[in-house]
Amino acid sequence: MSGAIQPAEPQALTLNTPMVEFAGVSKTLAGRKILDKLEFSVKRGETFVIIGYSGTGKSVSLRNLVGLMRPDEGSIRVAGEEITTMTPRELEVMRRKFGVLFQSGALIAWLNLFDNVELPLLEHTKMSRKKRAEIVQQKLELVNLWQDREKFPAEISGGMKKRAGLARAIALDPEIVLYDEPCSGLDPVIAHEIDKLIIRLRDDMKMTQIVVTHDMESAYSIADRIGMFYHGRMIQIGTADEIRNSNLEEVRHFVSGGREGAVSVRSQAAIEKGRSPTFSARVEAGNEQAESEAVVLEPVSEPAPPKLEPENTP
Amino acid sequence: MNTDHIGIRSVKGAGYTLLLLLESLGYVTHIWKRRRAIFTQMHVIGTQSLAIACFFMLLVGMVFALQTGIEFARFGQTSLIGLVIVSAMVRELGPWMTAFVLIARVGSSMAAEIGTMKTAEEIDALEVMSINPVSFVVMPRVIGYAIMGPILTIFGTLVGVGGGMLVAYAQLGVRPDDFLRFAERGAEPLDIYWGLLKSLVFSLCAAAVACSNGMRTTGGAVGVGRASRNTVVIALTLTVFLNYLLTSFYRMVKRLVAGLV
Repeated sequence: MSGAIQPAEPQALTLNTPMVEFAGVSKTLAGRKILDKLEFSVKRGETFVIIGYSGTGKSVSLRNLVGLMRPDEGSIRVAGEEITTMTPRELEVMRRKFGVLFQSGALIAWLNLFDNVELPLLEHTKMSRKKRAEIVQQKLELVNLWQDREKFPAEISGGMKKRAGLARAIALDPEIVLYDEPCSGLDPVIAHEIDKLIIRLRDDMKMTQIVVTHDMESAYSIADRIGMFYHGRMIQIGTADEIRNSNLEEVRHFVSGGREGAVSVRSQAAIEKGRSPTFSARVEAGNEQAESEAVVLEPVSEPAPPKLEPENTP
Repeated sequence: MNTDHIGIRSVKGAGYTLLLLLESLGYVTHIWKRRRAIFTQMHVIGTQSLAIACFFMLLVGMVFALQTGIEFARFGQTSLIGLVIVSAMVRELGPWMTAFVLIARVGSSMAAEIGTMKTAEEIDALEVMSINPVSFVVMPRVIGYAIMGPILTIFGTLVGVGGGMLVAYAQLGVRPDDFLRFAERGAEPLDIYWGLLKSLVFSLCAAAVACSNGMRTTGGAVGVGRASRNTVVIALTLTVFLNYLLTSFYRMVKRLVAGLV
């Protein structure tokens, strides 16, 4: 078939190869462009935080990364391997590099916490029962849940579910851990505990981590770099300080909780019509100098109150 | 939002259901690995449904005996009641009514359970852990249903015949030995096997419909409710339809066999 997608040539794997690399990734869902030529990369051992308004495609980018969705166009490489053209079997193998913490924890309801954490070990290794039990104990102790190992997901709080979800995500010591809003719905103390765990996994276990969050306090404390997502694109990537002191209206508006900056009404209208926003951003994958990107933003003549999608429509 | 025409959606749904059933049967090689899950499902589907299925079938047998008995009594043929009840129970009412009970009790909850897993991202979590959801979630339910459906049918049929016998004795004065004398003719071995085969087909069909609706659930609690309702409606309709097809086919085979003999 002449139009068939040809698998990309495997990239030579070097120390500088980005662990995760998005290049020109687009995805349209229900007629709306969710990802619009998305470009960014995450270095090995780095904790990369993705921030952005609800409904701008942050979670969709994670789903594309683990192959739960396929992009309409563009390339996604994980440790140099193109994943968009992988067969289901190849995807299964590739996914073992990942641990994913879902928003709700996504624990299997009919298994207790011990069995939930043991599940990936049971499915993918030939370890003895004793060895499995040791690892489960180690992971559950890490998230401070060993004493609750006999409990079922329905019997524990949201914070405990997330911690147990994290224990399960790292059971196989994955190379990359993805977090989909790890702190949402948690009290500040538990949220801080999760942040400490994320930092510990980076520092002690050298894991590459991608965290999608709304919580700026958390983002500043855990991130090596932060990327601001705005309607399917990264409009700025930089260190915590660079994001905090950003000149971009959209970024300032977001990080200040709406107290500063404004969202272009024109951008919003253009996005609703399925066109690109009025700004463009260039992100050079893997370039250490490209921490803070040059962004061309059309002037907004009348800063109007932001018209953003509500997070939860009652 | 799914904007397809309802006809296209139905065809897609039917295709998905059939493929899901075939895929889950393809994972029978995982039976040993999933034995715990299969036993759990057998317990939920079979053991926990036994009482309600037997109670239901007892009353079906009793009402059936009462209604047919009144007509037979008018012609002085009450002794034939055993023949009618046993043949109806073994060939039709047993497999059919047990399937109905199971769809209402098990099919709907199965769809709701898988639907909740889908909306709570548990199915996605399995996929990213490289655990195939069809092997982990669907196959144990399909196999559990396929084993327990026919077993419950056997129990249900026996209880139904017992109920009929009870009413025939208590209200129509037909003694149990008279009841059973003609009963043998109502249930030849082939009839019994065919009844069980029907039950197996109904079970596979109901399990596939329930799992398919669960796996296609979208839209939170409303979606879970929809999956559960659709399962009951579609599985009941399919059961009635398949029953007609299988019965017609069986009669054709029997006629052919009789012609050959």
